[in-house]
Amino acid sequence: MSFSLKAVEELASLHGEPEWVRVRRRASWAAYERLPMPSRSEEEWRRTNLKGLDLAVFEAWEPANGGAPADSIEDAAAVLRQRGSEPGQVDVGPELSAKGVLFMPLSQAAREHSELVEQHLFKGVDPERDKLSALHGALFSGGTFLYVPNGVSVEKPFVSQFWSSGGGAAVLPHTLIVAGDGSQFNYIDEFLSPTLETPSLTSGSVEVFAGRGANVGYVSLQRWGNHAWQFADQKVIAEQESTVRVVNVGLGGRFAKTRVEAVLHGPGASAELKGLFFGSGGQFFDYHTLQSHVVGDTTSDLLFKGALRDTARSVYAGLIRIEKGARRSDAYQANRNLLLSKSANAYSIPMLEIMNNDVRCTHGATIAPVDPEHVFYLESRGIPRASAERMIVHGFFGQVLDRIPVGQARELVESELEARLG
Amino acid sequence: MATTVPQINVGDDYKEKYGFFDPEKFVFKAKRGLNEEIVREISFMKGEPEWMTKMRLRSLDIFRKKPMPEWGADLSVIDFENIFYFLKSTEEQGKSWDDVPDDIKRTFDRLGVPEAERKFLAGVSAQYESEVVYHSLHKELEQKGVIFLDTDTALKEHPEIFKEYFGTVIPPADNKFSALNTAVWSGGSFIYVPKGVRVDIPLQAYFRINAENMGQFERTLIICDEDSFVHYIEGCTAPIYTTDSLHSAVVEIIVKKGARCRYTTIQNWSTNVFNLVTKRAVAYQDATMEWVDGNLGSQITMKYPSVYLMEPGAKGDVLSIAFAGKGQHQDAGGKMVHVAPHTTSTITSKSISKAGGRTSYRGLVKVHKGAHDVKSFVKCDALLLDDDSISDTYPYIECDENQVNIGHEATVSKVSDEQLFYLMSRGIPLVEAETMIVNGFIEPFTKELPLEYAVELNRLIQLEMEGSVG
Repeated sequence: MSFSLKAVEELASLHGEPEWVRVRRRASWAAYERLPMPSRSEEEWRRTNLKGLDLAVFEAWEPANGGAPADSIEDAAAVLRQRGSEPGQVDVGPELSAKGVLFMPLSQAAREHSELVEQHLFKGVDPERDKLSALHGALFSGGTFLYVPNGVSVEKPFVSQFWSSGGGAAVLPHTLIVAGDGSQFNYIDEFLSPTLETPSLTSGSVEVFAGRGANVGYVSLQRWGNHAWQFADQKVIAEQESTVRVVNVGLGGRFAKTRVEAVLHGPGASAELKGLFFGSGGQFFDYHTLQSHVVGDTTSDLLFKGALRDTARSVYAGLIRIEKGARRSDAYQANRNLLLSKSANAYSIPMLEIMNNDVRCTHGATIAPVDPEHVFYLESRGIPRASAERMIVHGFFGQVLDRIPVGQARELVESELEARLG
Repeated sequence: MATTVPQINVGDDYKEKYGFFDPEKFVFKAKRGLNEEIVREISFMKGEPEWMTKMRLRSLDIFRKKPMPEWGADLSVIDFENIFYFLKSTEEQGKSWDDVPDDIKRTFDRLGVPEAERKFLAGVSAQYESEVVYHSLHKELEQKGVIFLDTDTALKEHPEIFKEYFGTVIPPADNKFSALNTAVWSGGSFIYVPKGVRVDIPLQAYFRINAENMGQFERTLIICDEDSFVHYIEGCTAPIYTTDSLHSAVVEIIVKKGARCRYTTIQNWSTNVFNLVTKRAVAYQDATMEWVDGNLGSQITMKYPSVYLMEPGAKGDVLSIAFAGKGQHQDAGGKMVHVAPHTTSTITSKSISKAGGRTSYRGLVKVHKGAHDVKSFVKCDALLLDDDSISDTYPYIECDENQVNIGHEATVSKVSDEQLFYLMSRGIPLVEAETMIVNGFIEPFTKELPLEYAVELNRLIQLEMEGSVG
């Protein structure tokens, strides 16, 4: 079934969702029908080419299908596994349940913890921001809900694994994380699919609500197959004295556009936004980031690093916005691009909008090939050129890799990069 | 010690300082508004060749079709129908200083033009309203074959050179305001520097707006032939008026093989002027183009001097300062377009905002496919002097080639407490200390100016600092 109001209703029934979720979906569907396809005359899409994307060819969802992915993070507090577009399965041990931790498919949470979910769902991410956000709002399929109550610390990470193995369909998971005051935990979203012939449409939108004094680590490991069109909206709302660390790892997709936005909503809030992406073949990555300092005494630190090979392309556009009255804000933003081939290209647009003077605000951007001096140094020590380049790329990513809060996830990314660098 | 908050005041008390104006006296004044008839009339009054009349009309058509830009400052308040598009203030061009009418001279006296000329300037081409009334060229330059004229005269006297280059760097269809300028342009400077000629002393022109609701659309064309050098200085001040004035200039520069051109502007329009300017240069093999661009006045300025680096070895430089006071928005920056390999560029931008003023740096570094071994560095520093002011940075980097080295850095800060403390602990009063810090902040700019301009700029900042502490 292709995208239609009927598909929206049927999906809601399949997932057994309460009426208010249906109403929410219908509103987004209306927006989807109303909104035009983003065009290159809009600033945000000017460098982003949607040619070849035909929304009419996709099935509205993908039925569950077998084939568990080869690797996953085992040493976790709990792992939710979703196949295709259907609600996933998760086994939360008695210990976590006793603490009041809720970790379950989003649809189940909407039924069982309706009030808590309703309070937060699509309160961070705007489901009507553009046509593709509206599509996600209307047809989000599966996803995760995690609630960690006030004062609860969980040492091991929560993991959600989204696996898709059929082409030609929309797989649109939505992650909703509510961190109680003073809670502490790490969470990993893993998006996986083999590379297929037929294109698929994916998302992976995330909302993180960090309560007062919460300390949350969020990692997105995006390894969709190279047939996927990905559009994702990530939003972090950080309340007073909370700390949120977000790491985005972008490896997959033929086209991957991700918005990473942090709103520093309470004094003392701090957000760290890190990203790494590695593109090869004809891959295209687009990151639009926002560090919004709504109140003063807040900190944000952003670093996005990308390496591109073959004919891969990237667009990075980031904005630091410091509102009037947000005094003593401290914001940093950097985008570094490494171009490994002649045909790769990178666009970088780091922007600032500063509305008061008592701030510390710096940003920087660079685009450069591998430094021949570095290669020379390594070659002069007997390291072949190919390995030298690999080492340099690895070193280049080190700064971001170090910020992945979970050791296993870090190793996973390292070995994946190793394989891709070949 | 009283802890007063010092403020810098550029443009605030404009009326007392520069807001003099002479009663209007015109030979010809076109009707308000813009239509084909007015454009034909302008062209007729100037006795222009037919190709120019046609080009003006074609540009008017383009202007009408192009939408208003939707980015940057709010331009919706401009009423194109309520503007005079042409005035001719005296019938004949003054041949020497003595021939220039007294009231116009007085205006220049206040601006210090003759003094500047006496000292070391070669040619003075002062634009009073839309046409150049006084123009002198040093004999020595004339002998070298340098042409330094107002643009209208150049069209009459050097039609071949004019037709070859006019509108080639910035075609009418480039943007809405370049189309408007091409339709109604009047005045401006025309410079041609022949092969191998170096003009050691800066050429200088003053532009002024005098009549209420008077749009000024000067058009400047500079051609530096191979291995030549010229430094052109453009300075602006305007009397204050109650309704908005529009200034929309177009500056085209061609820098040929091995030549170097420097273009210095100090823009100090009164704070009711909309200053929407298109400035672009093309630099060929081993040529150097330098824009030194200061924006102090106007209500809204949108100006992004650009260099197209067309052949290997070309170098582009933009050095810009912007100062926005109460009610001002300086949306300035620079563009570097690397078309050829082995080209380099730098953009340095310094901006200061105070009393609710807004400065925006908007810039582009574009590297086209095939333009390998390109180096480009952009540095933007912003100083916010108080809590009400705003600073934006929008640097665009578009790179289609990998053998490149591109960097961008920006900082936004206030006057550092530590620096203030250091200076004050040495007995320097707060105001003076702040002045020193601000002057130090823009020093990379002032040191590139000819001495008299540097002194003027420093003095201006000093005056504003002194008068502003309550």
